[in-house]
Amino acid sequence: MRRALMLWLLLCAGAAQAHKASDAYLILEADATGLSERVDIALRDLDRELRLDADDNGQLSWGELRARAGEIDQLARQGLGMTLTDADGGRCTPQALAPLQIETRSDGRYAVLQRRWQCRAPAQDLTLSYRLFAASDPTHRGVLSLRGLAGAPQTLVLAPDGHATPLRLGAAHSLLSVLRDGVHHIWIGLDHILFLLALLLPAVLVREGNHWRPATRLRPVLLDVLGVVSAFTLAHSITLALAAFEILSPPSRWVESLIAASVLLAALNNLWPLLLRGRWRLTFAFGLVHGFGFAGALRELGLRREALAGPLLMFNLGVELGQLAVVAGFMGLVWGLRRRPGYPRWVLGGCSLLIALLALVWLLERVFDLQLLGR
Amino acid sequence: MRRLPSLLVLLLLSLRGLASPYTPQADEEVLEQLPRRLAAVPRQGLALPQALGRAQAALQRARQEGDPRELGRAQALLAPWWHLPAPPPAVRLLRASMLQTQHRFDAALQDLDALLASASTPLALRAQAELTRAALLQLRGRWPEARSACTRLAGLSYAALGAAVQVHGRVCLAELDSLQGRNESAAAALAQLARYPQAPSAWILLLRAELAERRGLAEAEALYRQALQAEPSIYTRAALADWLLARRRWAGAAALVLAHQSNQAELMRLPDALLLRLAIAWRAGGDARASEAAAQLQERFEAAALRGDGSAHARERARYALDVRPDAGAALQQAIANWALQREPADAWLLWRAAQLPAAPKPLAAQARQAFEQFRRESGMQDARWSAAS
Repeated sequence: MRRALMLWLLLCAGAAQAHKASDAYLILEADATGLSERVDIALRDLDRELRLDADDNGQLSWGELRARAGEIDQLARQGLGMTLTDADGGRCTPQALAPLQIETRSDGRYAVLQRRWQCRAPAQDLTLSYRLFAASDPTHRGVLSLRGLAGAPQTLVLAPDGHATPLRLGAAHSLLSVLRDGVHHIWIGLDHILFLLALLLPAVLVREGNHWRPATRLRPVLLDVLGVVSAFTLAHSITLALAAFEILSPPSRWVESLIAASVLLAALNNLWPLLLRGRWRLTFAFGLVHGFGFAGALRELGLRREALAGPLLMFNLGVELGQLAVVAGFMGLVWGLRRRPGYPRWVLGGCSLLIALLALVWLLERVFDLQLLGR
Repeated sequence: MRRLPSLLVLLLLSLRGLASPYTPQADEEVLEQLPRRLAAVPRQGLALPQALGRAQAALQRARQEGDPRELGRAQALLAPWWHLPAPPPAVRLLRASMLQTQHRFDAALQDLDALLASASTPLALRAQAELTRAALLQLRGRWPEARSACTRLAGLSYAALGAAVQVHGRVCLAELDSLQGRNESAAAALAQLARYPQAPSAWILLLRAELAERRGLAEAEALYRQALQAEPSIYTRAALADWLLARRRWAGAAALVLAHQSNQAELMRLPDALLLRLAIAWRAGGDARASEAAAQLQERFEAAALRGDGSAHARERARYALDVRPDAGAALQQAIANWALQREPADAWLLWRAAQLPAAPKPLAAQARQAFEQFRRESGMQDARWSAAS
């Protein structure tokens, strides 16, 4: 019973000592076609489990370690349960282990296990259950660094308790969903649409002196529309890309104000025509401003810069498709209406006036940061 | 969202070294010095007495070698009982000691209080719980409570266990006296207690060394060395290294720390407390490896913070910011954070030093000075390291 009195325990009350306990490091990085997985496990921990030091001389050599790479990987896979699905709900599959490597950290050397997970669409849902060394060292932790497709990188500390940890790899934008976002954005973006409509309203008319007369031939009308729409598309694509890659990012209040001004000017130009020929130049100039406006919507998706090219293209494509639908529908309508005697005054004039008024309100709101219309 | 930037910084820091996994050139290349091999934790678990014996040995090693993995092993051995709200008393006592080593002081105190409150705790375990609790209370600066615990130990409550418990109780009281400025009588009491056959000699030597240092006596060094010989703990080695550092004996301090290494001077094998002293000695002595040691320490702090153990390092971090990478703001912050956790002479000294820094942010320095002055007034502690200067 003498052992029961363990008075030595007292001595060490303040014994501040190494608190760098056993950690493994998990580095997961999602990309457009899957995920790269890297697990760093301390060699000391591996030796405790697997007796890697074959000649038992207290020194672990590269040869001893390398010979057991398969078992090390097996241990790691048992300790780190991972299921990964992509944005379309498909199961991603782990590829073969890359050749074993070594990392030196502040408390010793670590085995580095790396592999890819292949998906058919961007990786989306990850479930981890961690139980590495649960039986031999409950104070062990897995330190997870996770980079999803969007948003900020995350750091998580996993206890080896086997609990399932569900993780979302960013906002999970499949390219299709980004395309839809682009279409959606142009359709709900009333200012962009009204700008286009203001430009298209007079396209079915020809100005003679102080009067409008209906266009007789479709071909010049279509060429005019094509010029205007192309100029708008080209211009906003340029600035959308510049802003998306953060090469240029003007303050959004200026951008929004200028967009309102562009709508106002386009509408006023219909009421008091100043610029008739070569309207594409004006359209191009203002299209540059609208592109910065689209970029704001793209930014809200929180995409990572490295993984931006694909989504940017799809978003832009979505914008153009949405725009094309609006243009086609509207041109069909006004082409049919252009011969009505009231068209110049009531349709062109009335609509332009309404658009101008609305744009003026927007302009005032945005320049002076006011709220004139309810949202 | 405000946490995000700091997490990002941590993440970037954690990714910093990551570009560099490498493939060794030759099969003979030695990658790791392994600790001596121990029997594995059996899958089906052990019977309580065997588990306790092996867990105690692991805890002992954790304290002597500074390897926290030993704490993990001890916890694994006790796994069947570890999460019970009221485990068997012997397990509970060991759990308290382990929690204490992990700086989870409140949880440790809870276990100790419960052990003392329960009538079914065997007397020997009760004595041990009392002693551990006294040490914890003393560490936290709750001296009146610590004193009543020590008084019980020194009295008749545990007489049935023999004279050893009484001697421990009296050593414990002498230590409290020494903290409260009764230096001479405490020194005399400790010297006298050392002659008892049941005396815990390593502990008494360490207390006498620390007291001699606070009294500014040169005999401290010999006492530290004897204490280290009696029980080679990291705490004692670090304390002796501090004594040497305070006397600008850089080479001696570095040699003492490196003597902890069995085979080679691989920094990564050094416990934090010793690596810290080595970094200070090398920096002050102009050694070329100083920046390497400092970088290693910094990495360890970051790794600990990543795993969520940041606050347990406050004492070392404060010292690091004072003596390795001077940063007045960080030194003060850490010294104040540490003061909330631990109140030993070493902690008071850190608080005092941080408050003296000329570049220190004013409000923090004032806070530190106020805390220090209050402690000094209320405790009556005397310490040559600051008594003369302030």
